[in-house]
Amino acid sequence: MSRLAMLFDASRCIGCKSCQVACKQWWGLPASETTQVGTYENPTDLEPNTWARVTFHEYEANGQFQWLFLAWGCVHCTQAACVDVCPTGALKHNALGFVSLERELCNGCGYCSQACPFKVPRMETVNLLTGEARASKCTFCQDRATNGLTPACVKTCPPGALEWGERDALLEKAHARVEWLQSRGYDQAQVYGETELGGLGRLFVLTAPPEAYGLPVNPQYSTLVASWQQVVQPLGYLAVAATTLGLAFNWLATRRARLSNIEAVEPDATEESEA
Amino acid sequence: MATSTASKPCKDRRQVLVMRFTAGERVAHWVHFIAFTILLGTGMFLYMPALRPFAVGEAGEASRLAHRAAAVLFMAAPLVYLIWSPRDFFYSLREALTWGPDDLGWLRAAWGYYTRGDTARMPPQGKYNAGQKFNALTQIITFILFVVSGLIMWFGRGVVSPAIFVGSVIVHDLSVIATVALFILHIYLVAVHPLMRESITAMFEGTVTEEFAREHHGKWLAEQEQERVYRRCRDE
Ligand code: HEM
Ligand code: SF4
Repeated sequence: MSRLAMLFDASRCIGCKSCQVACKQWWGLPASETTQVGTYENPTDLEPNTWARVTFHEYEANGQFQWLFLAWGCVHCTQAACVDVCPTGALKHNALGFVSLERELCNGCGYCSQACPFKVPRMETVNLLTGEARASKCTFCQDRATNGLTPACVKTCPPGALEWGERDALLEKAHARVEWLQSRGYDQAQVYGETELGGLGRLFVLTAPPEAYGLPVNPQYSTLVASWQQVVQPLGYLAVAATTLGLAFNWLATRRARLSNIEAVEPDATEESEA
Repeated sequence: MATSTASKPCKDRRQVLVMRFTAGERVAHWVHFIAFTILLGTGMFLYMPALRPFAVGEAGEASRLAHRAAAVLFMAAPLVYLIWSPRDFFYSLREALTWGPDDLGWLRAAWGYYTRGDTARMPPQGKYNAGQKFNALTQIITFILFVVSGLIMWFGRGVVSPAIFVGSVIVHDLSVIATVALFILHIYLVAVHPLMRESITAMFEGTVTEEFAREHHGKWLAEQEQERVYRRCRDE
């Protein structure tokens, strides 16, 4: 089966937040109390109970003011740091092409929330002292997707800015749309997510550069995370193996010396002292 | 000779016991040992993919909780030592941190000593030989690293930057690697190495035979003879 993906077309988005609400509705997530801080964004960040969010950005190009909207949530990386650091397997690559999260397997260590280059997974901390917590993030509605349905946000989106389907077909569509946008004067129009971190499961058609949307231009798998997984852990096994092996040799050498000392003591006790 | 009450001769010279570790020192050592073992076991559930079944869901939550409880014990162990045996605490600290020509001599003679039992070239050692000083030094450094990185992982998530959090996991893991290698060496020397096994009675009973003390910590024994009343016969 070829990989499924989501395409968000910013040029079609009207900033209505239906996707945000549909996500809450499908997953039964309570709304959090917010305050007005001078933006239409509400809440102002992802939360343990807010996995999808529309962000608003003011942008000026060629003397023209634009208001940009972005439907944001986990982008389902191919090289997913969260999957690699998860010690329980609660975060996994699903064969359909997204990063699933099984909350019953999560033990609350929180490594994913610190390794993700997009700061996506959020920890619901039940008790700071005992460390009881649970990770949460967008799973492309794994329950719906694995049963052949489209994610709740896609299903809802009134102007059809969100689409769900085979990744290759969506990429083709995205490039065609960008070409069309460019011919209409959006010379900064571009596709985001095609190659980032091995290719994202959430693709974007943007009308302005990624920075204007608050997206990282060249998101990286942190070298610290990579060295923890690929250098430090193997180093541990190596150190234990080397120590044990060295001591095994020492044991053999000492035992042999002891045996020959005992033999040597009887006939010629002065064997050792050369001084 | 010393003013020791036990200076009356024992029936057998090999029965003369010398006090090596006080009760406070021994309790601190075993609290540290128990805490370390629990921390190592529960930490490994997260470290080794092969142990994943223990890291999952509620089992993982329980082991993370045990890790935190043991961490409190781990941090308390040096305090037990300090409060119960302040004199020995500072004596040992000074001993472990002071390096001299005898340590160089130990390093030169160590190979022959630990493989052939060649005692001739080994200069008399203080309460701790160079190997034990190296162990103590690593324990002190990694203790600080464990506490700092562990507390960051415990209370710092979302407070410190992700780079500092991930860096703390790496520091934590490197400390694990250093201490586990030493832990294996330590267990080997006290429980397996054919020539050193007697040293473990010092941690259980507090005493070693005078013969062992003379052979392994001659300088310290001489010091003891002048300073403290620490001898008794085995059957008393
Ligand atoms: C003051 C002492 C310590 C504290 C506060 C502490 C705390 C922590 C915390 C908070 C974690 C993260 C996982 C979680 O949230 O439950 C952790 C992981 C870990 N700890 Fe400790 N710890 C301490 C000492 C030790 C010691 C002495 C060892 C081993 C000898 C150890 C071995 C580990 C290991 C192996 C991990 C897993 C790291 C990984 O995932 O790669 N810890 N510790
Ligand atoms: S965006 Fe973050 S949470 Fe989502 S797959 Fe990538 S690393 Fe994992």
